[in-house]
Formats: sequence, structure tokens, C-alpha cells
Amino acid sequence: MKDTGPRRIRGVRRILNAREGVVLLLFFLLALFLSVRTPTFLSAQNLSNVARSFSWIAVVVLGESVVILTGGIDLSVGATMALAGLIAALVLQGGHPVCLAVLAGLAAGMGVGYVNGTLVGRLDLPSYIVTLGTMSVARGIIFVLSRGWPVRNLPYTFRVLGQGYIYLNALMIPVPVLILLVLTLASAVLLNMTLLGRYIRLLGRSAPALHVSGIDIGGLKQFVYTFSGFMAAAGGLMMTARLGVAAPTAAVGYEIDIIAAAILGGGGLTTGKGTIWGVLIGAGLLHILRNGLVLMGVHPYWQTGIVGAMLLAAILVDSLPLKTREQHG
Amino acid sequence: MSASDVLLEVHHIVKSFGKLPVLRGVTLEVKAGEVVGVAGKNGAGKTVLASIIAGLMPPDDGYLKLEGTVLPWPFCARDKGIELIPQSPVLADSLDVTGNIFLGRELGWPSRFRWLRVPNRKRMDELAEQALATLEAHIPSLREHVAYLSPEQRQLVAIARVLIQAAKLIVIDDPTALLSSPYQRKLLTLIEAWRDKGTAVLFFSNNLDHLFAVADRLLVLREGHIVMETPTDETTREEVVAAIVGMSDRRELTPIIWALDSYYRAREQAEKLRHQQRLLEKDLAAQTSLREQLLEQLSLQIAALDKANRALQEAQRRLLTEREQERKRLARELHDQIIQDLLSINYQLEDLGEAESVPLPVREDISRVREDIRTLITEVRRICGDLRPPTIDSLGLGAAIRSYARDWQERTGIQVTLDVDEHLGRLPEPIELSLFRIVQEGLNNVWKHAQATQVHIQIHHTSPRMLAITIADNGRGLPEDFDLAAASREGHYGLLGISERVALLGGRLTLKNRPRGGLLIRVEVPHPRPSRAVLRELSPGD
Repeated sequence: MKDTGPRRIRGVRRILNAREGVVLLLFFLLALFLSVRTPTFLSAQNLSNVARSFSWIAVVVLGESVVILTGGIDLSVGATMALAGLIAALVLQGGHPVCLAVLAGLAAGMGVGYVNGTLVGRLDLPSYIVTLGTMSVARGIIFVLSRGWPVRNLPYTFRVLGQGYIYLNALMIPVPVLILLVLTLASAVLLNMTLLGRYIRLLGRSAPALHVSGIDIGGLKQFVYTFSGFMAAAGGLMMTARLGVAAPTAAVGYEIDIIAAAILGGGGLTTGKGTIWGVLIGAGLLHILRNGLVLMGVHPYWQTGIVGAMLLAAILVDSLPLKTREQHG
Repeated sequence: MSASDVLLEVHHIVKSFGKLPVLRGVTLEVKAGEVVGVAGKNGAGKTVLASIIAGLMPPDDGYLKLEGTVLPWPFCARDKGIELIPQSPVLADSLDVTGNIFLGRELGWPSRFRWLRVPNRKRMDELAEQALATLEAHIPSLREHVAYLSPEQRQLVAIARVLIQAAKLIVIDDPTALLSSPYQRKLLTLIEAWRDKGTAVLFFSNNLDHLFAVADRLLVLREGHIVMETPTDETTREEVVAAIVGMSDRRELTPIIWALDSYYRAREQAEKLRHQQRLLEKDLAAQTSLREQLLEQLSLQIAALDKANRALQEAQRRLLTEREQERKRLARELHDQIIQDLLSINYQLEDLGEAESVPLPVREDISRVREDIRTLITEVRRICGDLRPPTIDSLGLGAAIRSYARDWQERTGIQVTLDVDEHLGRLPEPIELSLFRIVQEGLNNVWKHAQATQVHIQIHHTSPRMLAITIADNGRGLPEDFDLAAASREGHYGLLGISERVALLGGRLTLKNRPRGGLLIRVEVPHPRPSRAVLRELSPGD
């Protein structure tokens, strides 16, 4: 093949100056800083906690990043997480088996996503308004269903999703980490190998070409938002299983972390670029940042502000080199 | 014709954007294997109609029937066998050529799934290659992102999209604006090929030449209505243009037809001109490179010549030096040997002449011989002086020239006036000798050719390291057409010798006739020993 040489070089260079590289570097710097400054960061207990909670956050970030890839945004993921968890908990409380509860939770998430996708894709409404609306609606449904009280006493067969381990010889793999791995692989295959992934990448910038080619853009958007809803629900179930309680106020304000992580690792809005691995690294960076803020004793009031500032910085940095690149190219 | 032949039925399509009506009830039919041309001014609604038929936008009212069944909005026209070549290519910039040609039509596995297939790039590359070959499109690589292609190449990619799969109806929305005329003709032959295969073509165009070339039937769209519908064979360009612009007065129409025709002719001409310009530019570039090669050769030759010249000068300098040394040796030999011998012979003769045993007549002979020998000695001395100015080694250039000039004046009877810089100082021997020889040859030149009665010689510094010698006479001067090369051919080596010496010294020689008659030879030569006196004059602060 005549193109392989330059392409390989370009690949290496891309890793070096790509955002993934920068974010990975930031990740290690932050980890190093926290290891030195706090006695607890490197402890097995903390690392295990971080890995578990990272798993369910990262699952949601994956879904969100696909939406952002298409030039949209999904603000309803936090509420969807809580809704999926609550519905699963209520089904469990009614004495139904765990698989039914999981399916009900996932269905609820996909339902919210489908509504988002239909409003955005079929009626061409702006995604931030639509998902802001569904966020409130989902939160409202949560309060109605729970009457404001958390649902407790979930069976261990369910909690295993967030708290259990799988033993591989001497290796103890937390179940949520395993779920994250499976979902990551599935997303990677979907996005990188299938036509669907190709179309999704084109959706942000080349929608007219898709339109002329007879590809159902509305349907694509429906899929993308439903996928995001599904991933949010999966994350919500893992979170509920981990905490052992489905609180109506769970995952409030998570949207900002999730969107920041997706943009940090996956590329800015409408670029059509971004990789699954980048998204995971972004999620990891944001997660240990949160963890570090807690360990360092930073007041919670400050934490959200710092994450928001991080999001703005990511978008800002993203827009700067793009401009210079366009000038040169 | 029976109704079953009808492939597409467009029934009373109405479309407006906001309050602006674009289509006000368009009804038309396309039969299988028929080329229908649609003409209309820009803004007549051609593109909107094409988009509606291709399923890209819904009509406000009316319906489309394909093979007798109504197409409910939204529908995927490509799935129904309707393909569109848009006015300007709508491509995905981040995909390569193959990806764009097959966008929405990808081949992949498993074929039963629509969106979950894994694309088969190899097969698609082959087919894309074929499609582009059919178009005779020159595209650098199938892997090239279409963002980097020229507008024409992008349009060709857009046309290739239609070629990869059989269609029932191809809607062509005047894509020729971006195509050069060879590709425009290619498109026309494609349209004919489609018709032969039984594919219907709906050809929206403004170019009457194209429409009359391929269309079986012509429609004219004006202000959202079909205002004319006729088989192509039964109409004329005038009628069609009248329908397009909505005028029937022939006198007013003719200029419009001319304008329309000449517009397309002019475009073709402009294109040809551009082509020729490109050829010329290529030619020019070739010429430029040729010229550069020539220049390079020339400079190489100049360098070689330069080198040879320098070697020659060096050789000549050595020759001159050796000649001077030879002369010096010769002069010394003459002086030390011959003259001394002559003198000693003279003394011997004197002794002999004073001897009493010699008879008187013989004494007189001896006395005459001694006189001859004295004359001979004087003559040899003069030759010695010419060979090697006796004073130059001991007293320097100024004294040598003064003494030579005095001798010369005596010899020739031409009056010499001298004006020699008092602070001449001593210069390196080769320079002093050369300057002396220059004066010598200059004076000889005056004597031989000038018929002058007066010569003025001036030697002075023009700058601390620059010495100027002027030899001015009042003789004939140089002939009008004087030329050093010619002079040398005629055997006048004097001026040539001067010019060679000056060149070897790195100086400058000027020959010119004085205004009142006579020749002025001016020589300026640099030398390495700055004159202190001139330096002092130049720095008044001291």
C-alpha cells in the first residue's frame, strides 16, 4: 500500500499532539500530585473506590460523547441515571427478579433518550432545550414515583452490579469495571467498524451529504440519543447498586462532570473526531480531580466551580489550535 | 402511449418558502427510457422541483407517483430508484473519494443489516475505480479526502455516485456550471446511454445546446408553472427562449437568444482560452528552465574563461618579469663585460699609439679606431640604459624617468616637460619597472607616430594607493576609428603593450584626443605602498 508510510507517521504524530496525549499527561500529573500531597490517594481502599465510581461515570460519559460527536448535547443524563436506578429499585421492591428490574431501568433510560432523539431528530428542535426539558420531566417523575423518599434495602443480587467482584485466578475484578469494559468494547466496535459509526461521525459536519445520500438523519439522531439514554441508565443502575440506595436526588449536577469529561477527552462540539479511548481518559482525569478535591479537603461549594472552569478551559483550548491550524492549512 | 408507460407522475406540486411561492402547481410526467429536459430561468424553481422529486424536501401540496404508487413523504428516493445529481456537489469532506461515492450505498457485511454492516472497502474501491474510469475523471487517489479536490473533481465524484447502481430515474439538476466542456459532453453521452438502457432522465438545464442535444421532450418552467411542454423535434430555440423569458415578440426575443447562445459560447471560449493559457504557462515554464540551463552553462563557460584568462595573465606577468630580469642580466653583462673589454682595448690602443716604435700614419689609424671604440661604448651604454634604466634600481622611478626623458629629448629633438610627484617614493620593483616601460613605450609611440613637437608627462597620486601617469603630446592624435586590436594587427605594439601592462597591474588605461590636437594617454594603477605625503594631505588635522 502506498499510503501506509506517511499514514503511520501521521498516526504517531497525532498521538503526540492530540488531545488524548495532553489529557493523559494531565491525568498522570494530577495522579502524581495527589499521591504526594495526600496520604490516602494511593491507598488500596481509595483506588478501589475510585475505580468503581469511575466505571459508572465513564459509561455515561461514553454515551454523552457520542451525542457530542454529532454536534448535540444531552443534559438529561443525570436525571436519567437517577430515574433508571429508581425504577429498578421500585421493581425490586415489588418483589420482581433482578433481570426484570435491570431491563425496566434500561428501558426507562432508553425511553427518555428516545423522546430526546425524536424531538431533536424528527422535529429539528435544539438539543440543549429538548434535553433540559426532559431532564426536568425525568426528575419530576422521580419525585412523583418516590414521593421524595429514597428506596432502600435493595437485594444483594442487585447490589452485586456495583459492589461485587469476579475472581479470575488471583485477580479480583470489580463487576462495574467489567461492565465498563464490555460496554466500551461494544461502543468502540459500533463507532469504529460499522456504517452506523461512520454516519454518526458525519452527522455533526456533513449532515447535508447524509441527507442527499438518502440516510435517515432523524433516525440516526433518535439512535444516538437513545444510545445515550441507554448508557445513562446503565450507569445509573451501577451507581444505585454501588450505593445500595435509590435516592431521588441522586446524580444531581452530574451533567456538568459528564459533559466536561466528554469534551475533554472526545474533542469539542461538532468536530466529528474523538475516540473512545480519549473519552475514557477524559473521564478518568475528571474523576480523580473530583476525588482529589475531596481528599484535599476542598469545600464542596468550590468543587462544581472548578469542574465548570475545567470545562470552559477545555473548550477554549480546543478552539485555539483549530483556528491557527485553519490559518496554516 | 398507454398510462402504464408512465414512470413518474408529478401532480400539482406546490411549494413556497415563507410567503414566497416557488412552485404553483407543477404537473408533469416522465416515461421510462425518456429524457425530459426542463428549462427555466434562474429562480424559476428548477432546483426546488428537483429536490422535491429526489425526496429531499416535502411539497406543501400535491403528490408524486412512482410506477403508479404514491410516494408518501418522507421517502428515501434512492431506495425507490430515483437518483439525483445536484447542482453543486454535496459531499462529506471528511470522507475519501470511495466513501463519498458509496455514501448511503455502502457494500458491507452482513448485508441484511442496514446500519450495522461492516463496510467492504476493497470491493467498493474497485467499483469506484470503474465509475471514475467511465467518467474519465482524473482523481489522484481514491483515499484522498474530497475536501482537497477541485470543484470539478468533486462534481465528478457526485456524478460517479449515480453510476454505481442502476436507477429507474435520474434527476440531473444542471451540474454543468462546475464542469469543463469535455466533461459536459461526457455527461450528455452518459444521458444518452441511460436512455438506451431504459432509464428515465429528468434533465434540468439552462443550456439550450445541451437540452436540444439529448432531450426527447422539453418543458419550460416559469414563475412556478410549466408554461410549455413539447417534443423537442417540434420546437425551435426561439420558441423555447420565448417561453423561458415569457415574451412572444420576435424582435425583442432575438437579442435574448443571441445573448443566451453567446453566453454559453463565451463560456466555452473562455474555457479554451484558459486551457491554452495553461499550455502557454507550461511552455513558458519549460522555456524558463531551458534559459536557466543556458545561463548556467554560460556562467560555467565564463568561469572557465576567467580561469584561463587569469592563468594567461599570470603567465604574461611571469614572462614580463623574466624579460626584465633577462634584460637586467644582459645589461649588466654588456656593462660589466663588453664595455669593460672595450675600455681595456681602448687603453691598450692608447698605450700602443703612444709607443714611439709605431709609425705616425698607424698612430692616426689607431687614434681613429679609438674614436670609433668610444662611440661604440657610448652606443652600448645607451643600449644598456634602454635595457635596464641604470638609475631605477638606485634612485627610483622618478629619477629614471627624468634621465630617460632627457636622453630621449636629446635623441629625438622633441621637447619633453616633466611634472613628477615629489613624494613619489619607492614602489615595488615590478611596478616601477612596468611604469617606466609604459613611459618608455608611450614616448616611443609619440616619436614614431605622433609627429609632435612637445610632450608633457605628469606623474602624481590621485589617492594614497593610486598613481596616475599622463603622457600628452601635440601631435596628430588617434584616428577616428582607432581600435587596439586593429593597431596590433598593423604592428603597432606600443599602445597594446601599454594596455597589457596596465591590465596586469590591475589599472585603467584611457586614450583620448586632446581638444587642441594630440593624444592623451592616461594610466591609473593601484599600488600597495600608500604615499605618506598624500595621506598627510588627506588628513588635515595632523
